[in-house]
Amino acid sequence: MTEMRADQHLRLDEQLLLFMDQLEALEEKRQKLNSLIEEGWFSIAKTRYSMGNKQVSALQYASEMEPLVHVEASLLEGGTAEFKCERRKNKTEELKNNTVEDIGAKETGLRRRINTKQKGVKEEEEEETDPQVKTTAESSTPEHREPLKWFGILVPQSLKQAQSAFKEVITLSAEIASLQSEILATRKEMQAQVKEKQEKTEKTQPEIKEE
Amino acid sequence: MTGRGKLIAVIGDEDTCTGFLLGGIGELNKNRKPNFLVVEKDTSITEIEETFKSFLARSDIGIILINQFIAEMIRHAIDAHMQSIPAVLEIPSKEHPYDASKDSILRRAKGMFSAEDFR
Repeated sequence: MTEMRADQHLRLDEQLLLFMDQLEALEEKRQKLNSLIEEGWFSIAKTRYSMGNKQVSALQYASEMEPLVHVEASLLEGGTAEFKCERRKNKTEELKNNTVEDIGAKETGLRRRINTKQKGVKEEEEEETDPQVKTTAESSTPEHREPLKWFGILVPQSLKQAQSAFKEVITLSAEIASLQSEILATRKEMQAQVKEKQEKTEKTQPEIKEE
Repeated sequence: MTGRGKLIAVIGDEDTCTGFLLGGIGELNKNRKPNFLVVEKDTSITEIEETFKSFLARSDIGIILINQFIAEMIRHAIDAHMQSIPAVLEIPSKEHPYDASKDSILRRAKGMFSAEDFR
């Protein structure tokens, strides 16, 4: 009986220490998040100063947007949610697409040219299809994907700094969300253990009184 | 249970939304409703609450970022949300710095200690 109670006390102590550690980690990440967000706002303000007030506002948002960041959310056994940030690596994908399509165009062009020596009319059509293939490669990276381009072709460095600050904030937000979920789960477990302990002490107290 | 490729929603003032949209979280097209709401001076609390509830109801949103001063306006709706997904994260705004004592999550975590004091 006493061993069980000692185990229970130990578990409760361990849970409390874990809880404290999690709160400390949360506090640290929060501070970093807050300072990064402020840095981002400051950079946006600097951009407004150089570009003009109306040039950096909700009016500049694109009419169509595609998300470049996704969050992988998974529910773990204890009921905690884990969040991982996934960012689309646009540039590498685009380069690959471009090279593949360029090679493809050349090959098909060559192949078709061989065929069209026999059929002269198709040559013109192929020359048109080659630039078409290239233009589709360019349009596969549409402008509305890159948010920087909403604000103009040449944007000041401060806007790019704002973007990188907010990108970091997004990654940190996913970590904080996971940590918050863990904290709530730890708290629930601690409450359950405290209740269990109280029930057990209530049961043993009447026994002691009888003795 | 896994959910891949969920979105991050944001309910905030203009600068907050601009910043996060620059970061690449925005989705806006004809088929689906946007995953962000720019809150201005004339935005009603009903609209904010409805948007928040609609984000909660969507299965493709993993995290909701909300300025803390806006969260204060719809505190009852945020406190009522007990599920792990989507997670609600309160962030500061330019005029209202982050206050840990107002955060729903931390208030729930703090509540535990008051129960222990009765021992």
